[in-house]
Amino acid sequence: MISFAVLIVLQLLIFNNIQFSGFVNPYVYVMFILILPMAIPTWILLLLSFMTGIVIDIFAGTMGVHAFATVMAGFARPWVLSLNITAEASDPEMSPSSHNSGLRWFFIYTVTVVFIHHFSLFFVEVFSFTNFFHTILRVLLSTLVTTFFIILFDIIRPRR
Amino acid sequence: MRSLLNFLLRYKNLIIFFILEAVALVMISSSHDYHQSVAYGVARSINGFVSKRIEKGHAYFNLREVNKELVTENLMLRRRIENLAAVPQTGLTSINDTLSGIRYNYLNAVVINNSVNKQKNFITLDKGARHGVTTGMGVASSKGVVGVVVGVSRNYSVAMSLLNTSFKLSASIARNDYFGSLAWDGRNHRYAQLSEIPHHVAVAEGDTIVTSGFSAIYPPGLMIGTLTGDQKRGGDFVTLKVLLSADFKKLTDVYLIGNLSRNERENLEKEVTNE
Repeated sequence: MISFAVLIVLQLLIFNNIQFSGFVNPYVYVMFILILPMAIPTWILLLLSFMTGIVIDIFAGTMGVHAFATVMAGFARPWVLSLNITAEASDPEMSPSSHNSGLRWFFIYTVTVVFIHHFSLFFVEVFSFTNFFHTILRVLLSTLVTTFFIILFDIIRPRR
Repeated sequence: MRSLLNFLLRYKNLIIFFILEAVALVMISSSHDYHQSVAYGVARSINGFVSKRIEKGHAYFNLREVNKELVTENLMLRRRIENLAAVPQTGLTSINDTLSGIRYNYLNAVVINNSVNKQKNFITLDKGARHGVTTGMGVASSKGVVGVVVGVSRNYSVAMSLLNTSFKLSASIARNDYFGSLAWDGRNHRYAQLSEIPHHVAVAEGDTIVTSGFSAIYPPGLMIGTLTGDQKRGGDFVTLKVLLSADFKKLTDVYLIGNLSRNERENLEKEVTNE
């Protein structure tokens, strides 16, 4: 719950104001979906994703766009986890993090989910495939920057 | 019945997924009238309330620059007054009717929410119906055209930014009065595209682009930007790249422009074209 509030505030105050030449718009709030416990039931995960998206939408004035993308990311999360599972990462009580599962594992996991989120986000926002390469470039660059910040926050995040 | 329940339980995640995505899509597709709809009034109020507080903090960091802009603008207005005062008086008696000649009224407002990184950007202002704002009013900063009001609540209003792919504006080249249509292509927030300029029109880098005054929203001659020299030829017309004079990333103080004779003009135009 605290991580949710912190991430939303960070997103609204800092990251919504970062725009390098219109190409890079990091959306770090996705981290909230990433760090939920491994064993969380999928339907709760989906509802939480939708709520997170709606909160961001209200503040960004883009009704539904973030909700759509975040539910997509939430839906993809169990698949990505099952594809990418390792012995040390399979403890259902744990939440995914670089500390528990290694930096390499966490990077692959993060980059995949963030890419799915950003891909649906930017394409739903544009709502067409004209300027396809321009949009895909925005997706790729923003994915890299978001992933960088999420891993950074994961490393400095306080642990129980 | 039992197998149906089993089916639902088995695929509940998939079903929830599709329901949520459908809800999101419905919200997106109805968002074009989002700024008019009452249902989102609450969302807009919360947004306005929070954004206003954030903006108050932001405003302090821009004070120096805002002051500088205000001084330059004051200076310009002073010069204009001086010019007007210098007009020789005619022999006729003048009656000071302060309402007859006025076509536009102005209202100042502060930007409390703004974006430049989306395809459809909107600007939230701290003035609403209570202050006399109506939809269709123009928005400009001291540097140039900013947008047009599309939604008004009691205390806030939302303007469609010039940086919105749905925004179109009639603009002309100040030097020779050729007019075209100005729109944003959704890429760089510093540049817009002026299309429908005929081939033979001579243009040069740095030419001033102003509003044509055809739209009843803005007075003619309001600054928009300058030509960069880039041009794209296609068909009978040229598309010119315009450097916008208003920097949308540091927008704080703006004017709302209301056209007092707008209804009269639009009714007349409608009457004639309907025949």
